[in-house]
Amino acid sequence: MKQIALYGKGGIGKSTTSANLSAALAEKGLDILQIGCDPKRDSTRMLMQGRFIPTVMDHVRKEGDADVRLEDIMFTGYRGVRCVEAGGPEPGVGCAGRGIIATFQILERLGALKGDIIVYDVLGDVVCGGFAMPMREGYAQEVYLVTSGELMSLYAANNICKAIKRLSLRAKNRCRLAGVICNSKNMENEEELVLEFSRRINSRLVHFIPRDRTVQLAELHKKTVIEYAPDSSQAGVYRSLAGIVATNEQFTIPTPLDTDELESLAFDYI
Amino acid sequence: MSLNPLPLITSRTGGCTLTGALAVTTGIKDSVTIIHGPPGCAHHNFSLLHATILDNDCMVIPNVMSSGMSEHDVIFGGEEVLMKVINEVASQDPGIIFVLSTCITETIGDDVLAVTQNAGVPVCMVPTGGFLGGDFEMGFSRALIAVSNLALPAPMICEHDQKISNSVNLIGEKNLEYEVKQNFLEVKRLVSLLNLSINLRFAHDITRSDIYRLPFASVNIMREPALSGVGDHLKSTFGIPYISSFPLGISGTLSFIRNVAVLSGFPPDEALDIEIEHHEEIFQGFSDLRGARVRFNIPVEKQEYPRIKEISEVIGFRESPEGIVLPVPYPFPVGTSGMKRMLHLWRRTLTCRAA
Repeated sequence: MKQIALYGKGGIGKSTTSANLSAALAEKGLDILQIGCDPKRDSTRMLMQGRFIPTVMDHVRKEGDADVRLEDIMFTGYRGVRCVEAGGPEPGVGCAGRGIIATFQILERLGALKGDIIVYDVLGDVVCGGFAMPMREGYAQEVYLVTSGELMSLYAANNICKAIKRLSLRAKNRCRLAGVICNSKNMENEEELVLEFSRRINSRLVHFIPRDRTVQLAELHKKTVIEYAPDSSQAGVYRSLAGIVATNEQFTIPTPLDTDELESLAFDYI
Repeated sequence: MSLNPLPLITSRTGGCTLTGALAVTTGIKDSVTIIHGPPGCAHHNFSLLHATILDNDCMVIPNVMSSGMSEHDVIFGGEEVLMKVINEVASQDPGIIFVLSTCITETIGDDVLAVTQNAGVPVCMVPTGGFLGGDFEMGFSRALIAVSNLALPAPMICEHDQKISNSVNLIGEKNLEYEVKQNFLEVKRLVSLLNLSINLRFAHDITRSDIYRLPFASVNIMREPALSGVGDHLKSTFGIPYISSFPLGISGTLSFIRNVAVLSGFPPDEALDIEIEHHEEIFQGFSDLRGARVRFNIPVEKQEYPRIKEISEVIGFRESPEGIVLPVPYPFPVGTSGMKRMLHLWRRTLTCRAA
């Protein structure tokens, strides 16, 4: 079983990429579980025909966690992809990071963490220990950074590298950086910039995803690109990504850049 | 972000901010203190308070409750469960409700103050998240200041329109120390030499309504210098001058009498003469210790040595590195009666070692 996590800046397209990746992997006949680790709970929506599924934390809030059943929190979407949303507290109260930890404990207790590939789609940045949970305790061992060529997006990706590097110092931690996915914003020299960024952090650009109107159209129809436009070139891009992810065995301990180095790099590719 | 670093050296005076605040709030006997956090924060402190109160020969159960936060409340926020417990406590109609925060509620950002302000009943909140760098003393001081604000506005009682010029307040007695009662009686005896009485023990075994008496004394006597911040607050709020410590040592006790007299506007001479004579009588009673070779084991505060040296010289000890080790109690004994207890302790030590 492979367990992969997609991390990146908020709004960069993690959920779109994750959902299309899961859909493409499911097309190959693989048993996929996608877990949205973000209180905004929209990671799996396109796999569920636009439905916001009840979250684990919704259930815990209303019923407590003692009698939670798998069918209360796990829902089957496109091509049998099993979908879970961690959810979280109302904005401005409580501790969302602890909610992620509690979600993982519940999923483990219910025996939900199984299949060919588990895809963890994690909130924009590693804002606290709770959001590093997917990288700890033997969960996701392969982390993909989703970024564009925008400086702030690279900055967030670089921060996640710091978290992976720190975790790699722990004796039993097997979490490694599996590569960088460039979700294009149609910037000048974007692919070259992200390619060089990937090299400098001791990783590689596993796929460049071009900006394509099909993505927006698919989302307006509440579907993944794979489902909405299966013959489109963009669907082909996600299938290509899925092929790489399914077989990828090049994992590294990243070498994060300092801020000056990162800014200088971005400047070089204006 | 707290810039208050944790003390590098911990000692008996260290400990948790929460415990310090509880040492004050539980001194108000018709109050209930809610510790907003997991049950363990309350259990640990309840046990400590109960054991200490029993040590002082009192069978009183501290009025402490926990909001009993669980992981559920940590994730979704603990404000609702706090409000529920406040309502439960309010239904028992206590004199005042205190709410103390804990590390976890400060970490997840519960707006404890807002909850208490919207409770619909009088609630006094003290921030006591220990991980922010505070210690026992900080919790103790914060609670004293918070409780003192309950005296505002002072009720319109005719007899209190003017300060009770012949009384003092005792501020911040160490309610958890074994000698709390003896220390109180000693200070009471010393101020009575100046015809002063005790207006309020703030906060020891008092009620919510007693707190209104706080502004009506001529002098505040702080238990120890660490409470100078509280003394400053009370001075600026109520205009009451303060003395920074209970009396310690021979000359310290005499200067205490002198300072109280000055601040109260009474002549000190007669009281000083009485106390000096009292000292002589006591020290005469320990003349058998004269010439003993001793050295002193001062546990914490090195600055206490001058007080010890003064007593040693009056008794006539010979200090020597080879001398019998005499223990110096911590906290340092209060007033003349405290010195007398310490001399008895030293006599027992010398007798045992000699045997």
